[in-house]
Parts: sequence; C-alpha cells; structure tokens
Amino acid sequence: MNVQVEESLTPVLQVVGLRKSYGDHLALDGVDFEVHAREVVAVLGPSGSGKSTLVRCIDQLESIQGGAMYLDGELLGYEHHRDGIRPLTDADVQRQRRRMGMVFQQFNLFPHWTVLRNITEAPVRVHGVSPAEAKERAMELLARVGLADKAHAHPRQLSGGQQQRVAIARAVATRPRILLFDEPTSSLDPELVDEVLQVMKDLAETGMTMIVVTHELEFARHVADRCVFMADGQVIEDRPSTDFFDRPESTRLRTFLTRTSAAPAGGLA
Amino acid sequence: MTDLRTQPVRNPFADRSVDVANARRRIHPWRVVVGALLILVSAQIATFLITNERFEWPVVAEYLFNPTVLLGLGMSLMLTAVGMVLGSILGTALAAGQLSEFAPLRWACIVFVGVFRGVPPLVQLIFWYNLAYLLPRLAVGVPFGPELFSWPTNDLITPLTAAIIGLSLHEAAYMAEIIRAGILSVDSGQRDAAAAMGFSRWHSFTRVVLPQAMRVIIPPTGSQVIALMKGTSLVSVIAMGDLLHSVQVIYNRTYEVVPMLIVAVIWYLVVVTALTLVQRRVERHFSRGMSRAAVARRTVDRAEATA
Repeated sequence: MNVQVEESLTPVLQVVGLRKSYGDHLALDGVDFEVHAREVVAVLGPSGSGKSTLVRCIDQLESIQGGAMYLDGELLGYEHHRDGIRPLTDADVQRQRRRMGMVFQQFNLFPHWTVLRNITEAPVRVHGVSPAEAKERAMELLARVGLADKAHAHPRQLSGGQQQRVAIARAVATRPRILLFDEPTSSLDPELVDEVLQVMKDLAETGMTMIVVTHELEFARHVADRCVFMADGQVIEDRPSTDFFDRPESTRLRTFLTRTSAAPAGGLA
Repeated sequence: MTDLRTQPVRNPFADRSVDVANARRRIHPWRVVVGALLILVSAQIATFLITNERFEWPVVAEYLFNPTVLLGLGMSLMLTAVGMVLGSILGTALAAGQLSEFAPLRWACIVFVGVFRGVPPLVQLIFWYNLAYLLPRLAVGVPFGPELFSWPTNDLITPLTAAIIGLSLHEAAYMAEIIRAGILSVDSGQRDAAAAMGFSRWHSFTRVVLPQAMRVIIPPTGSQVIALMKGTSLVSVIAMGDLLHSVQVIYNRTYEVVPMLIVAVIWYLVVVTALTLVQRRVERHFSRGMSRAAVARRTVDRAEATA
C-alpha cells in the first residue's frame, strides 16, 4: 500500500465520543470530530459550550472521563496493556504533547524570560535543537509575525496583541503537527484583534493544521475550511464554512449566528 | 452679554501676597508631649546603663572579642546557614509534595509539616539529643528485614548533629509553607504553557514556576533567616557551643553573668541588624524585578553590554 495515500487518509486528529466531567457537570458529552492535514477548523459556540475544554483535553491539560482521541492514529494519553488500556506515563504524555502546539487566551508567555528565550526554550531543551539553529528559526518566526525588533524585550513590555503574536511564534517554533488556539483574541483590546488574526491567517496559508476556538465569525467564515458549532458539550453542526454560515441546519446555530453577528466585531459572546 | 458661569471668580485675596513657601512651622501639642516623654525615658535608660555598675562595661569590652565568644558566634552563624540551606531544600520538596496529585504523598507531607511546625524547636532539640534512649542503634537496611549497616546512636548524635537535625527540620516545616504559598501565587496558565510545550514536570517546576514564585518566597524567607539566627541560641541547652553557650561557659567560671549576656546581646543585635539591612535590599530588588520600568532598564543594560 502506498504510504502517501495512507498518510492523507489518516486524520491528524480524531476525537471519538469524548466525555469530560467536572464533578456532576458534563462539560463534554460525547464529542466526535476529526481534523485532516492542512485543514483549519474553527470551533464556535456560546460560552460554556465546552469548546475551550475540548482543546484543553486534546492537549491533555485536562483529564478525560470517556471516549478516545488519536493523533496521527496514535491513542492520546493511554496505551494498550494486556487486554485493555491504561494511562500513559508522564514522559509519554509529554512526548505526545511535543507534537502539538497551543496558543492560550491569556498568552501565558513566561514573564521572566526574553521573547527570544520564550521561543527557543522548547526547541533547545525539549527537542534537542542546537541553540544557534533555534535562535535563527526564532528570529525568522519573529520576523514573520512582525516583531523582529522585540527579540530581547520581556513580555510585559509588549502589548497584548504583540504578546499573542510571540505566543504563536513560540507554539510554531517546535514544528507541531497541529496547532490548537484557545480563544486567542478574546482577551485583547478590540483594536489589537486584527494583527493577531492576520498572523493566524498567514499561518493557515502555509498549510498549518489548526483548530481555532474563537468568537470571530469573520475569521471562521473566510479562513477556516470547516466550522464546528458546539452547545452543551456536544457538536451540533460540523460543516464546510460556507454551508455553515449560509445554510445552517439547526435552529440553535441559526439563533447563535444572528445573535453573534449583531454584536460588534471583536466582542465577547 | 457674557455668561456669568464662564467668568472666573476673582478672589480678592489672591494677589500673590500669600505664598505657602513662607509658611511657619505648625506646633503639634501632642508631639511636644510625646517627644518630651521620649527624651525623659531615653535619659533614664542611658543613666541606668551608665551608672549601674553591675553592667561592668569594662568586662563587656574585655570579652567582646574573646576567642571563645567569637568561636561561639561563628558556630551560631554556621548553624543558621546550614539550617537555612537544608531547611530550604527539604522545605521545597515538602511544598512540592503538599501540592502533589498523589494523595498519600500529599497527606504525608502535610502531617510532616504539621508535626515539625507544631513542636517547639527547644523540645525538638532535646528530643533529638536523647534519641539514643529510644533507638540505641541506627541502622540502614530492609524495613522489617535484615540490617545492612548500623551504628550506635550515641556515636552519630552529637550536640552538633542534634542541633543541625532539630533546626533544619523546624526550618523545613516553615519554609515548606512559605514556598507552597509562593508556588500557588504563580498563575496556573504558566504551568499549562510549560506542559503544552512538552516540558517535563521538573523542568516546568525549576525553570518556570520556582523563579516566578521567588517574588513571594524571598521576603518571608529573610524574616526566617533572622528568626533562625536568634533560634540558634536554643542549642545551648544541649551543650552545643553556640554564642549563648560560649558566654555561659565563661560566666559559669567568672560569675560575671550580666556582662557576658550583654556581650551576647551585642553580637545578636549586630548580626540581626546586618541581616535586616541585607533583607531590605533583597526585598527591594525583588519587588522591583517585576515592574515594567525595571525590566526595561535591565533590557537596556543587557543591550548595552552586548553592543
């Protein structure tokens, strides 16, 4: 069998019947979806619908209570053992995480390091890239996000939009298989949202596989290949972007779209 | 017609004849009273110190730099340093353990901290010193199984080891609480980001969490150093040759109790004052470390250094 064909057929990420609960509260109630290579998937939905929880579960920052997830066909967080499965060791979880990148709502840059060290730390200390090579790539990435002159600044000296662009460069620096965005523009001042979305759009055009949890409908419509609508911990609709916006099937999505479009751009849902 | 509301109101007295720069000093009657009382009390204390011959100041001067006293002072400083270093290392481990996801480890650390924080250090010191009564031999071996090595407890527990064990364990319990508070002060997003980048727990803890926790850990740690320095005087009860014990040795021979205690007091005050000054500077450094201006300044310095 042709390896090329097999690669393109296996989704980069598969989520099957994912369940996550906090005590009695079911945050994710049987979520199924998949992402293929070079695909950009936007995840939309009202606050509390479970979209942030979903990407946090994929990156194994949260424990899950049911279902399964696969990265390039490899079971995430668990391994087969005898006739069942058991949780992976910390080291194996870290190894799996290294193939993903995550961008957080609050940026979460390391404030005690320079921008440059924020970007080079993981490639050098985790992936074994030589410091010189990591620095070269970091400078290249900073130039791409328009912050080449900020390499030696500390995160606190940057605006929110600049911090988030650094955070994106940091996530890309390890050459992840897939990049997860958890509401990347939700804590930004409205006038800083566009510079971050532009960087994400550029990234999408390079063929990066991305899952973007967002409230930015314009971005979802024009940049994402597919949109997923979540409510009450379930996927309600999962369709190509144009169909999603022009021919929503469920009443919930229709209500969501009319209500959210009426809100000013960049506003929180 | 002009609108009256836009007309500035002219104050007939505002003719530059008044200038607060020429103001006289106001007399606060209560400050006069309190000031007078303070002068009176200070004078009284000074007279007491000078005229009371039982202070025997010449004796104080004679023994201030006595080799035995200086040796005792050195021992107290050494115990402070060793207690602080061992206490901080063990305290960090206990703090991490208290925050562990593994419940039995968490409970064990909580109980450990509770016990060693709850038992007075003086009691601990006497207890460790008398360990031989409970355990005649200390052994390394398989629990409930064969012993591999063993030593008579009395060979191992000297005043020095008992003092180091007692002070370090006491200090570790306090440092654990301080370090735990520091760790909890670091935003959980920092740990998420470190995890998301595939950092190991150790890497995340030592490179990301602890450096940021230092801002909260450093100021109370300074107070701990000072408290421990004074606390070392407790080891004199187990005949450990600290500062207090060394002056006791002298006054047991000469019966000059008060002047010798004054010698000890002077040295404690000198060391504690010096430590306080250091603490102030360190604290200022760390509170400044996180402000925008300081970061900017440091970056500029570095840029200039590399240029």
